[in-house]
Amino acid sequence: MAVSLSQSLIQTSLPISQGAEAASYLRSFSDSILKVYKAQLSPESPPILLKYRFKKHYRHPNLDLNLTRSRIAGEARALLKCLRSGVNVPGIRMVDATDGVLGIDWIDGQSVRKLLPGGTEDDGPDDPENQNDTQAGNYNDLKEYGVSVDGLMKMVGIEIAKMHRVDVIHGDLTTSNMMLRHPKSFSSSVTTLTTELVLIDFGLSYQSTLTEDKAVDLYVLERAFSSTHPDSEPMFTSVLAAYANTMGKDWPAIKNRLDDVRLRGRKRSMVG
Amino acid sequence: MESFRFNHNDNVAYALLFSPVNDPGKIKQRIIDAAKADDQDRDAVNFSFIEASLITSRLHLETAIHQAIIVESQGSLRTKTIHSEILFALNPTNNITEAIRRYGVSETSKSLIVVQITDSSASASDVETKMKAVVDGVVVSFRELATVTDWDRVKKYLKLDKEAKEKGDLARTQAFIDSVAISSVAMKSVMQ
Repeated sequence: MAVSLSQSLIQTSLPISQGAEAASYLRSFSDSILKVYKAQLSPESPPILLKYRFKKHYRHPNLDLNLTRSRIAGEARALLKCLRSGVNVPGIRMVDATDGVLGIDWIDGQSVRKLLPGGTEDDGPDDPENQNDTQAGNYNDLKEYGVSVDGLMKMVGIEIAKMHRVDVIHGDLTTSNMMLRHPKSFSSSVTTLTTELVLIDFGLSYQSTLTEDKAVDLYVLERAFSSTHPDSEPMFTSVLAAYANTMGKDWPAIKNRLDDVRLRGRKRSMVG
Repeated sequence: MESFRFNHNDNVAYALLFSPVNDPGKIKQRIIDAAKADDQDRDAVNFSFIEASLITSRLHLETAIHQAIIVESQGSLRTKTIHSEILFALNPTNNITEAIRRYGVSETSKSLIVVQITDSSASASDVETKMKAVVDGVVVSFRELATVTDWDRVKKYLKLDKEAKEKGDLARTQAFIDSVAISSVAMKSVMQ
């Protein structure tokens, strides 16, 4: 069988095992579900990130094609919906659902996880240069982006609220799945803005208008904060404050539900 | 002459931007007649004739060409040719007639992009001669595309009126419309 177009694109591209994008993708999906590449479609065009859901030979071919197709479609639709509503997400550059390839804009920057204290720890043996980073290193990194920790938390809250306002549930909110665009690749007409927060990895996203789903989305992020970053409570409080501000009248209901979720955990009781 | 080459594929897409274009109605009639004519006549208009005012950037067009090449390589064209597939990819709905009416050449077209997707054996100058033989108009650089784009119409077809209003200044609004246009084209094959 001839090599398909997307296959040969993957052959010309660079597998990513390091870097913020890969770290986040590899953390949320294991390496055996999808592979991530940096590619370029044409010599002049900007780089893109390829998410390749390769064929799983343990599944029936028809089922495999169906699942791959619907997952790529789901992710692409969520991205487009966010993009249309002004949520900062990477734009879509190519879709080949048959071969399982989704190409999105390459975001030049750093994951929020790496920029906050504690985020560079436990990165595994394949990331040695970050092992010795001290917390001071993180703050210097943040300075490079021109934002304070509190400012960054505000951006996180606003972006999630914008996404929830159009009824997109991320499904896997962690500090790894948010990136700050590097100031040198960011331009804005508002000169005081040096960077923007971009939500990435919509592989587990879905659409829902339910307060429950939005509250669980926030709860998942709260847990991610407390398990990754020391002394995260004040940080998450600023996230929620900015979120509440942007959500407006929908906030009280979500807040009440979030309190419920905190008591019982992510899964709703199936009794009764 | 603008060319689109991809790192992973031997196809080349050649494109010329004509602005202004004279007598677009005649070109349209010729394409319609070619459908009933012999191979030679059909070969003369074997291009994609794209309403240039609906293209927001070079990347927008490149994405549509790339998606058309992917679909063709898999043998799953939704329209009859790879050239009409570009028009289909550009239109945000699944209606083929509407895609050709909006994004193809019409009596009111003021500027046109003519595209041919071919293999690397075809010479650029041959393609250019053939294109100029079909279209009566002034060839301008692709950089002129920015002056040709009708942002209000693009906005209307993408149903972005409400969203675009909140963007503030013109540059931001246009960058926003461009990015939605590119993403819409790229994900057309998995659109609902």
